[in-house]
Amino acid sequence: MNIVVCVKQVPEVTDAELEINREGTEILKEDLEFDINEWDNYAVEEAVLIKEAHGGKVTVVTLGDEDCEDVLRTALAMGADEAIRIDEQGFEFSDAAGIAQGLYHAVRDVPFDLLLTGAQGSDDGWAQVGLTLAELLGISYASLVVGVEIGEGTITVHRELESNTQEKVEMPLPAALTIQTGINNPRYVSIMGIQKVRRIEIKETGSKELGLSEAEIGSQGSSVASQKLSLPPVGEGAEILTGSLDEICEKTAQIIRDKGGVM
Amino acid sequence: MDFTLSKEQRDIVRAARKFSLGEFPDRALEFDRDEAFDLDLWRRACELGFVGVFIDQAYNGAGMGYLEHCLITEEFWAADPGIGQAILSCTFGSEVLLLFGSKDQKQLILPQLVTGKAIIATAITEPDAGSDVTSATTAAVRHRDEWVINGSKMFTTNGNLATYILFFCRTDPRNPSRHERHSFILVPTDTPGFKAKKIHGKMGIRASDTAEISLSNVRVPFTSLVGKEGAGFHQLMAFFDRTRLHICAQAVGLARASLEESIRHTKERTQFGATLASFQVTQFKIAEMATRIKAAKNLYYEAAWSLDQGTIDPALIAMAKWFSAEAALQCADEAVQMHGGYGYIDEYKVNRLYRAAKILEIYEGTKEMEKTIIARSLLG
Amino acid sequence: MDEILVLAEHRQGELRDITFEMLFAANTLGKENGLATAGLLLGHETSGLAGKLKGACDRVLVIEDPELAHYNADQYLMALETAVKDRKPLLTLIGHTAMGMDLAPAMAARLCLPLVTDCVELSLEEGRLGVLRQIYGGKINAQLVMKPSDHYLISLRTGAFDAEVEQGKSGDVETIPAPAWTNLRGRQFAGADILVSIGRGIGKPENIPLAQKFADAIGATLSCSRPVADEEWLPKSRQVGTSGKTVRPKVYIALGISGAYQHQAGMKNADTIIAVNKDPMAPIFAIAHYGIVEDLLQVLPVLTEHLATK
Repeated sequence: MNIVVCVKQVPEVTDAELEINREGTEILKEDLEFDINEWDNYAVEEAVLIKEAHGGKVTVVTLGDEDCEDVLRTALAMGADEAIRIDEQGFEFSDAAGIAQGLYHAVRDVPFDLLLTGAQGSDDGWAQVGLTLAELLGISYASLVVGVEIGEGTITVHRELESNTQEKVEMPLPAALTIQTGINNPRYVSIMGIQKVRRIEIKETGSKELGLSEAEIGSQGSSVASQKLSLPPVGEGAEILTGSLDEICEKTAQIIRDKGGVM
Repeated sequence: MDFTLSKEQRDIVRAARKFSLGEFPDRALEFDRDEAFDLDLWRRACELGFVGVFIDQAYNGAGMGYLEHCLITEEFWAADPGIGQAILSCTFGSEVLLLFGSKDQKQLILPQLVTGKAIIATAITEPDAGSDVTSATTAAVRHRDEWVINGSKMFTTNGNLATYILFFCRTDPRNPSRHERHSFILVPTDTPGFKAKKIHGKMGIRASDTAEISLSNVRVPFTSLVGKEGAGFHQLMAFFDRTRLHICAQAVGLARASLEESIRHTKERTQFGATLASFQVTQFKIAEMATRIKAAKNLYYEAAWSLDQGTIDPALIAMAKWFSAEAALQCADEAVQMHGGYGYIDEYKVNRLYRAAKILEIYEGTKEMEKTIIARSLLG
Repeated sequence: MDEILVLAEHRQGELRDITFEMLFAANTLGKENGLATAGLLLGHETSGLAGKLKGACDRVLVIEDPELAHYNADQYLMALETAVKDRKPLLTLIGHTAMGMDLAPAMAARLCLPLVTDCVELSLEEGRLGVLRQIYGGKINAQLVMKPSDHYLISLRTGAFDAEVEQGKSGDVETIPAPAWTNLRGRQFAGADILVSIGRGIGKPENIPLAQKFADAIGATLSCSRPVADEEWLPKSRQVGTSGKTVRPKVYIALGISGAYQHQAGMKNADTIIAVNKDPMAPIFAIAHYGIVEDLLQVLPVLTEHLATK
C-alpha cells in the first residue's frame, strides 16, 4: 500500500492577534509560529498507521518556500519515507486550483494506492485541493474521512456528516481521501524519528521542471481577480441569565425546548 | 559567528515543545499540590528518545551533544519546571559514568536509562556538607573485595525512585590533599542497608522526588568504584561542568515561560480602561525580561557549544549558571507582579514558576560558589 | 446565463436548512440583477420535496433516478453536470456542507469552473462576482472579486444566510432526464449510522455521569472534545473531531468551555448557543446567545430535572 500525502505549512493563529498589511492583501506573518496544517497532521498519521499495518511506502509532498521543508521533515520523522518539495516560485497568488495543478504534476508519476490530504487548511480554508487533485487524477475519492478500512483492492471509509452523523462509502483503489481531524491520535515526533531524517534526501522540484506554464498557475491561472483582507467586527455578546439557580435552569430548559434542542 | 540552530536542532526543539505542551499542562497543578509524579510520563519521554540524548549510541543513546539535551530541557521547563525536572533528572549521574565509568558499568546502566527501565541518581550533599563538598563524611571502607559504606546524604534528587545511586564517599580520609580524599561508588538501591526517605515540603519543583538517604553497612563489590580511587572531587567538578549547563537551560526555559505568561496576561487584562500591556511600566518590564533571557541564552549556548566542541571553560559555565538563574528569578518575580493577586494563587502557572525558580540559585553550585569560580579564574 | 442554480440538499426525506439559505441568497441576488432562481433536486421519489421547494424559487428542476436515492459523489457529479449543461446558469450554489464539500471541488475541476468555497456574502457588479469569505479560523475577512466568467461555482457556509426564505413564488417543476450512468468510478454508499451529540471538557471523569444524564434527558448522545478523549475519560470513538469544521446544530450547549478561537470557529453558526461557565470573562460568552455564569456541576442536575419533569 503506497501512499502519497500532501501537506502544507500554515501559521499558527489560534492564540495570535492577527494584523493585516497596509495593502490589505496578506496578514503579517513575522511574529507567527509555523507548523503543519492540523488536518494534514492527521493525514500523515493515518498514512503511517496504514503503512505500519499493510506495508508499503509513504511519500509526503508540499508546495512552499524553503522554510516549508520543516513540515516535510516533521512528516518524515513521524514515519514517512520520502519527501518532495515543490518550490513556490511561480505559484504565488495561485488559487486552490493552481496549487492542485502543481501537486498533480508532482504526484502523477509517483505510483500510489492512496492519496491523502487534510480536509482543509486552517489558513485559507478552501477545502478544495484534495478533491481537485482526485479529479485531475481521475480517481475515486471521499472527503471528510474519519475512519478507514482497507479491503482487497477496495477501501471503505467513514465520512463525517452534519449533526454528528457519519456515512460509510466503499470505493476501488487507487483513491483519494481528505482527512478530518479526530480520525486518529497523531504521534509525537521522536528523537529517533528526527535522526532518521538525516539519511533522507528531500527531492526538490518547481513549476518549470513540472512543465507548468504561467497561465496555469499563479495569479494568471487563478480565477480570483483581487482579494482584500479586513478584521471582522466583534459580536454583541451573551444575554446573561440571572436569578436563583432554579430560576436560571427553568429559563434554560425553556430555551432549549423553544429552540428545538430536545430530540 | 552563527547563532542559528541547525535544522535538526530546530526539529528537536519543536518535538520537545509539542510533547511537553501536549502532556504537561494538564498534570502540572496536580503534581505540584500532591508532591507526586506519574512515571508513565517519564517512560513516554524515554520512548520518544528525549531522555539522555547525550548518551553514546553504543549505549542506545542518540549520541548527541549536551546542547541538544539543553534544548530539550529548556522546552520541558518552559512547559512545567516540576515535570521537566522529574523527567530529565532521571539520568543525573550518567555524565559521570560516561566520563569515568568502566565499560561494564556503562553497558549495564546507560541503556536502561535511555529506554526508561532504570533511573540513576547522584548523592553528594550531606547534612553537614553542602557547598564544601570535600567535608563529606560518608565513608566507604575497603574490606577484601568489597566496599562497606556508612553515612547519610541529603537532598538527593530521585533518591526514592532511583535504581542506582552514585555516592560521593570519603575513601581516603588521611590523604594530605582535601581534593583526593573522595571517590564515587555505584550502589544499586536494593542493596541491604540502603534507606531512603522522601523529603516533603519543597518550595517548588514538587513533582520531582527528593530524598534523605542513610547507608548502614552497605556492601557493594570493589568494582563498583567509578574510575580511580581518590578522583571523586575532580570527577565531581567535571560532572558539574556538564550539569550546570542543564541548569542554565532550566533557567532559560522557566524565564521564557514567565515572559510568555506575562505577555498573554497583560494583553488580556484591562485596568483603568486600558490593557496592562499598554502601560509603559509593563512594556519596560517585558523588554527587560526579554533582554535578560536573550543574554542568558546566548551565554549558555556558547558554553554548551564549547563543551560539545571539547573546550571546557569552568568560569564561562559558572557565569552562565549564575546569570541565567538570576534572570529566571527576576523574570518569575516580575511575572507574578504583573499577575497581581492571581499570581499569588497556585492555579496560575506563574505561581509555580516563581516557587521553582529559587532552586536554580542553589542546586549544583550556589550562586556564591559560581562567583567564587569566576573570581578565581580572574584573580588566580 | 440568466439563472442561479441552487443544488437542494436533503437527507432522510427532509430538505436541509442550507437549501433555503442558498435560495434566500439566490433570490436576493436574483432580484437585484434580474436573474431567475432554480432549485435543483437530485434524488429518488422526491415529489414531496419538490412541493416544498416550489414556493421559494422560480423553477424547480428534478432529476429522478434510483441511482440518486442516496447521496453519492459519482452519480451526483454526473447528474449535476447534466443539469448545468442543460441550464447554463451564471451561478451554481452548493452548500459548504459534508455533501457540498465532497462535490464542489471535483465538479469545478471536471467542468473547468472557477470555484469559491465557504462564502458568507455574495454580490454581482457588472457581471463580476464578489464574495466574502472568513479565513484563519474566522479571524480574518477576505473580500474577493472574481475574474469574469460565464459560470461560477460557489459554495455557501451554513448559517450565513437566513433560512426563512419568502415563499411567494410558484416555480414550475421541470424534469431533466437522468444521464446514462457510464464511467462511474465505483464509489458506493455503504450505510449511515447515527453517532454522537453534545458535550465537552468538564473537569474530571467522576463528573461524566452528570453530563450523561443531561444528554439522556434531551435525547442526545454524549460526545467529547479532544482533551477529554485524550484523558481517556470517554473513549476516543466518542470524540467529535470538528476543531475546524462548521457544524450547525439547532442548539449548541457548551459546558465549561472557555471558547478558544479554534473552537468558536467550529460552532458559532449554531442557531442557539447556550454557554455554562463559572468564569464570567470566558470568551465563549462573547458569541453565546445565552450564558449561565455558574459551576456546571451545580447547573446540570437542576437543569436535567427541569427537562425531565415536562
